Amino acid sequence: MRAKTAKGRFGRFGGCFVPETLMPALTELARAYYRFSRQKDFKEELASLLRRYAGRPTPLFLAERFSRFIGCEVYLKREDLAFTGAHKINNTLGQALLARWCHKKRLIAETGAGQHGVATATVAALFGMKCSIYMGELDWQRQHLNVVRMKLLGAEVIPVRSGSKTLKDAINETMRDWIASFPYTHYVFGTVAGPHPYPLIVRNFQAVIGREAKRQILEQAGRLPDYLVACVGGGSNSLGLFHPFRRHREVRFIGVEAAGRGLASGFHAATLCRGRPGVLHGSFSYVLQDKNGQIASTHSVSAGLDYPGVGPEHSYYREIGRASYTAVTDSEALRAFHLLCEKEGIIPALESAHALAWVIKNRRRFRKRDIVIVNLSGRGDKDVAEVAKIEGKE
Amino acid sequence: MSTIAEQFSRLRSRHQRGLITYLTAGFPDRNTSLRLMENVEKWGTDLLEIGVPFSDPIADGPVIQQTSQVALAQGMNLGLVFQHCQHLAGHLSIPYLLMTYYNPVYQYGLKNFARDCRKTGVSGIIVPDLSLEESEPLRSLLREQNIDLIQFVTPFTPLARMKRIVRLASGFLYVVSVAGVTGERKSFDPLLIKCLKQLRNLTRLPLAVGFGVSTPEQIKYLAPHVDAVIIGSYFLRRLADGKIEEVEKSMANFKVFLTNHE
Repeated sequence: MRAKTAKGRFGRFGGCFVPETLMPALTELARAYYRFSRQKDFKEELASLLRRYAGRPTPLFLAERFSRFIGCEVYLKREDLAFTGAHKINNTLGQALLARWCHKKRLIAETGAGQHGVATATVAALFGMKCSIYMGELDWQRQHLNVVRMKLLGAEVIPVRSGSKTLKDAINETMRDWIASFPYTHYVFGTVAGPHPYPLIVRNFQAVIGREAKRQILEQAGRLPDYLVACVGGGSNSLGLFHPFRRHREVRFIGVEAAGRGLASGFHAATLCRGRPGVLHGSFSYVLQDKNGQIASTHSVSAGLDYPGVGPEHSYYREIGRASYTAVTDSEALRAFHLLCEKEGIIPALESAHALAWVIKNRRRFRKRDIVIVNLSGRGDKDVAEVAKIEGKE
Repeated sequence: MSTIAEQFSRLRSRHQRGLITYLTAGFPDRNTSLRLMENVEKWGTDLLEIGVPFSDPIADGPVIQQTSQVALAQGMNLGLVFQHCQHLAGHLSIPYLLMTYYNPVYQYGLKNFARDCRKTGVSGIIVPDLSLEESEPLRSLLREQNIDLIQFVTPFTPLARMKRIVRLASGFLYVVSVAGVTGERKSFDPLLIKCLKQLRNLTRLPLAVGFGVSTPEQIKYLAPHVDAVIIGSYFLRRLADGKIEEVEKSMANFKVFLTNHE
């Protein structure tokens, strides 16, 4: 199967719904991406940076004690071991390199959990570029350590106080910055959402996860997996894992969203499970919204999943049935967080714990020979204080 | 000829530039908002742009963001805006337009939207996040109802794209003065005048400049090159401070610089 990418469409999803003021920037970006990303020099430079700076390839690890608990073979794709502690670096290195090839002097980005902000600030320092990161005030409080990290790396971190004070508002603010600054600034969009060409660019830079995983599972298990499981906020770690397997129909894709306090509670971020198609941040995709089309406030224990939109390619996968989307609650994710700590000595990010929680919850459905790859998209050091706080209260 | 085109030809025959006033529907509250809209014609407005509040207005600066949030908190929505329009049909002889982001329109249903615009006398629609590439479904439905879908041009729009925009545009062209969002500013990019001259050579469509227009000096500077100016944040900030009478006074002030132009 092939996702149609003409005019930035995935089936009927995607597109470019942005103010005219942004069109010159996006047109320039699309043109530069198509031109440079195919060149041998660009590819080699990126591959070298990923290997020598970001520490790729990341291991594919058979989690034996966790597997025994589940009752099938569970492999973890260790994106938590990529430099800066999450898969985000794959995308920021790619985009920063693209920005450098376009002679941009400044990088800007939104951030939710702070991981994408840190990964952007990191590459800005590496390339000697100026950097401004927009972060919702609520996330600023939940992920304060990442604010400190970004500042250490020389970035200016700007708190966003409008709207719900989370990721979606940080994106609005970064877009406003870019509208005024694009001649010398590149906007490092953090996920597979947003206007064309971002869903395509980010997915392709993240697809290194799936390419490695495919090679590694063939080496280690001698066959393709039965399930790929990943959390979905905007959807970049999941698409990065899924994309290289898309033509292998026997490999099932499971995207796990944040059910927050429960899908019925209204406090969740399960866009594909509970949203409707609409337009947010430049693309036509599933959106959590009220009946008047106003964007909903979301809730999740994990800042990285706390987003009312989702990448248009996921909406397409949902519509054609290529992937199944489901959601787990805050408390299910927290249980999975503890279980992985205890069984494997790995502290997962709360985002990634959602994917693990789905595997735990569905352990009866697996046969003993089944192979499941879970994308361990980030490490949980950033969440330790938040978890302690939540559990101290209870 | 559309209502908007008629209004501009009237202005041209009187050697006048138009004043387009932007007001957020439901701000500062629903009643005051409606009363303001009834009065703007009397105060000198030539076209009224009614802002449908949206939770995530990416093309707008802090003033319109703030007024939108206040309006939303009071339960403003597209259906209520149409009720306002229905009421205004009996009070205004100037054209009124809706400025709305795309998602509320999409959720309302494009067909229902076009139908209700027609029913309530709306003459034009401005959708800041609907790029030319994505605009055809809405434009064709509006065209059936003789309603203009207003297109944007910026000083950074390349000539080839300008030509494409001009071909599809009707009513007037919304020329964005700066690379940025709505809100008041001291000066304009010199590219703006170049862009306006380019557009004059390309089309007979009226040109209206918006984003950052707030002083008589700016209006004086722009007037020889445009058919209208669009002012929003300036008025809204005064409303936010509770100074309705200043809105009235400043409109009269701006008008002075918009009259007597060949």
